[in-house]
Amino acid sequence: MIQYIIRRLLLMLPTLAGITLLVFSVMAMAPGGIGANLMTRGGDMRPEERAAMVAYLNQRYGLDQPMSVQYLRWLNNVLPIGYTSTPSGEREFGFKQPDLGMSFVKNRPVLDLVADALPITLLLNALTVPFVFIGSIMMGVYTARFRGQALDVGIGTANLALWSIPTIWMGVMLIGFFASEQYLKWFPTSGLESMRADSWTFLPTHTPDGWQHGYLLDLLWHMVLPVICLTYSGFAFLTKLTRSAVLENLSADYARTARAKGASAQVVLWRHVFRNSLLPLITVAASILPGLLVGSVIVESIFSIDGMGKLVVEAVQMRDRELVLSITLITGMLTLFSYLLMDICYALADPRVSYE
Amino acid sequence: MSEANMPTPVRSEETFSARVMRQTWASLGARFGLGWVAVVALSAVFAPFLANSHPLLMKADGTWTSPLFIHLTFIDVTLLAGFAAVVAGWMLRRRLSGSQALLVFLITVAVAATAGSQLLNPPQAVIFDQYRTGLAAGTIEQAVFVPIPYSPTDRSRDNPLSLSAPDRGHLMGTDEDGADVFSRMIHACRIALGIGLVSTGIALAIGILYGGIMGFFTGWVEILMMRFLEIFESIPQLFLLLTVVAFFGRNIYLIMAVIGLTSWPGFARYLRAEFLKLRQQDFVQAAQAAGLPISSILFRHMLPNGVAPLLVSASFSIATAILAEAVLSFLGLGVVDEPSWGGMLNQAVGPGGTFAIWLATYPGLAIFLTVFAYNLIGEALRDAIDPNLQQKAH
Repeated sequence: MIQYIIRRLLLMLPTLAGITLLVFSVMAMAPGGIGANLMTRGGDMRPEERAAMVAYLNQRYGLDQPMSVQYLRWLNNVLPIGYTSTPSGEREFGFKQPDLGMSFVKNRPVLDLVADALPITLLLNALTVPFVFIGSIMMGVYTARFRGQALDVGIGTANLALWSIPTIWMGVMLIGFFASEQYLKWFPTSGLESMRADSWTFLPTHTPDGWQHGYLLDLLWHMVLPVICLTYSGFAFLTKLTRSAVLENLSADYARTARAKGASAQVVLWRHVFRNSLLPLITVAASILPGLLVGSVIVESIFSIDGMGKLVVEAVQMRDRELVLSITLITGMLTLFSYLLMDICYALADPRVSYE
Repeated sequence: MSEANMPTPVRSEETFSARVMRQTWASLGARFGLGWVAVVALSAVFAPFLANSHPLLMKADGTWTSPLFIHLTFIDVTLLAGFAAVVAGWMLRRRLSGSQALLVFLITVAVAATAGSQLLNPPQAVIFDQYRTGLAAGTIEQAVFVPIPYSPTDRSRDNPLSLSAPDRGHLMGTDEDGADVFSRMIHACRIALGIGLVSTGIALAIGILYGGIMGFFTGWVEILMMRFLEIFESIPQLFLLLTVVAFFGRNIYLIMAVIGLTSWPGFARYLRAEFLKLRQQDFVQAAQAAGLPISSILFRHMLPNGVAPLLVSASFSIATAILAEAVLSFLGLGVVDEPSWGGMLNQAVGPGGTFAIWLATYPGLAIFLTVFAYNLIGEALRDAIDPNLQQKAH
């Protein structure tokens, strides 16, 4: 198993290099190249100031060098092993601090920007995933149990319809009906916190000026619509999968044996059949995670939430090279790690699976 | 064994493709899906004759002219010619083979496109409201308009109405620039139809070539190609799409190409799995023993036997491509100045928390129905092509 994990981790390296190289090439081949946006700024500068800025940018990012050199420089910067230049101008090879660079446009370290944005996206997804799984497992098990009856048909049709509703439409409709001035104004339209939420206590409290609902409730209140938006489309796929797995196991020999020895229907369903039906769910959970990241791009721009998704859109719109490359690297790594994690879980859940 | 003892071969009355088509058509969902796709296709082809500010016929200074025909672009003409070729091919379907029909279609489209771009010369600067003001002032004596007398980019400068609710003049209201939403809905069918078909076509072509080679050869070729495929699979499509559009400009053909170039790995995987099974079969080994060239074995003998599952995923892939373009337009990175359902949806919620329900309902419903239609067609095709899958699912 250890050997397998190490092999998978090593295989990630060429894949990540390939992804970043592709994104880098797209940016490099664009008309004007990577630096075009930087060079056009500062139109009111005097010629010598402008020349100084160009020289500084060239020195810092190597924008005057060939694209292949620029990519290798970036790769050298982000790797934990590589060349570092000492103050005396010599180059040393060895371990070093990985450096994701500075955002061209925002003038802040990329790591800071990501550290601000990533927890928000992870929080949204951490709330979404349990809802999706619990909801679709319950629906899947009961549609299999009452197969062919009204419940089964009803849930099946509803899920198919929900699955086809595009997230952009769902988001706009939710805001329109539950957050706009014309209709119900139950939820906020954008952001994750109210204006003065910073000064509030974490939990709901009584203050001299009256009831104050606190930071936590405020956050949850803001997250209702985005989480609904991220959740609903996942139901159809997972419910169908659970349903077919449970159906297959319900007619298996061991389920009949369990019934024959006198186990109640509930015990057979939940203790015997359900546990054995979990395997396919674990494998597909991996394929859901990248989808959730894409989903956050849409949901975060609909609800103006400052997460990774919004950062991605901003980065590409500003043509911010360092930010785009770093986000490519980070999301690529998250995706590949989630695949690996699911493969390990699969082996842990099913003793018959072995990667030796 | 003498000839008399030979068992008579069992012959099916209908071919495989005829059976698949019959069973697909038998499904209610597929009928609905095909019906809606037909509506979208017809709207796309006849868009200038359904919604246009230019009158079909106009009498000014005593002479009759047709501004609509003067303003037809080569895209309009190409679409009409393509439609005519499809209709002709359908009427002659008993006389022409599949490849002949395809050839005729491609030649017609190519001729129409080149002739159109050479011969047609629509005026660059267009004043849409000249007809309405002319009619009111009396300089235009008579004019016959098409059912919706507004072009998608007609911002009605003579009577600015931004974000007005549906009424008699504008059946689906107007958008924030004052353009007619119904007209934009009809013209946006072109992007929806084109993006799905073209990008899936590109993905299919690459996927078939790549998957076929990967499924036939073994050893290091397969390992290398598999690695490369995994890299492509790990790239988030939306992310690459955003990057390309931001760096290269918002061009519809570019968007089609990028969606096509990022969605082929699924096709390649399916075809590889099919080819791995087919490789062991007698007819392939016979073809190899007969000394046929590899391209002939791969694409003439194996491909027709392994292509069916690809059709299913092509249908789903069209739905995904349409959705991807809608998301891109919704994020404000879609095609400039061309109507698109996603871009219209983006205008529904104003910055001040106002909500234009007509801008949310109609484009949203159109995206939903189109995606749903292709998904339904895909499911019906899958049930028809692979009866085993159908039994497993129930």
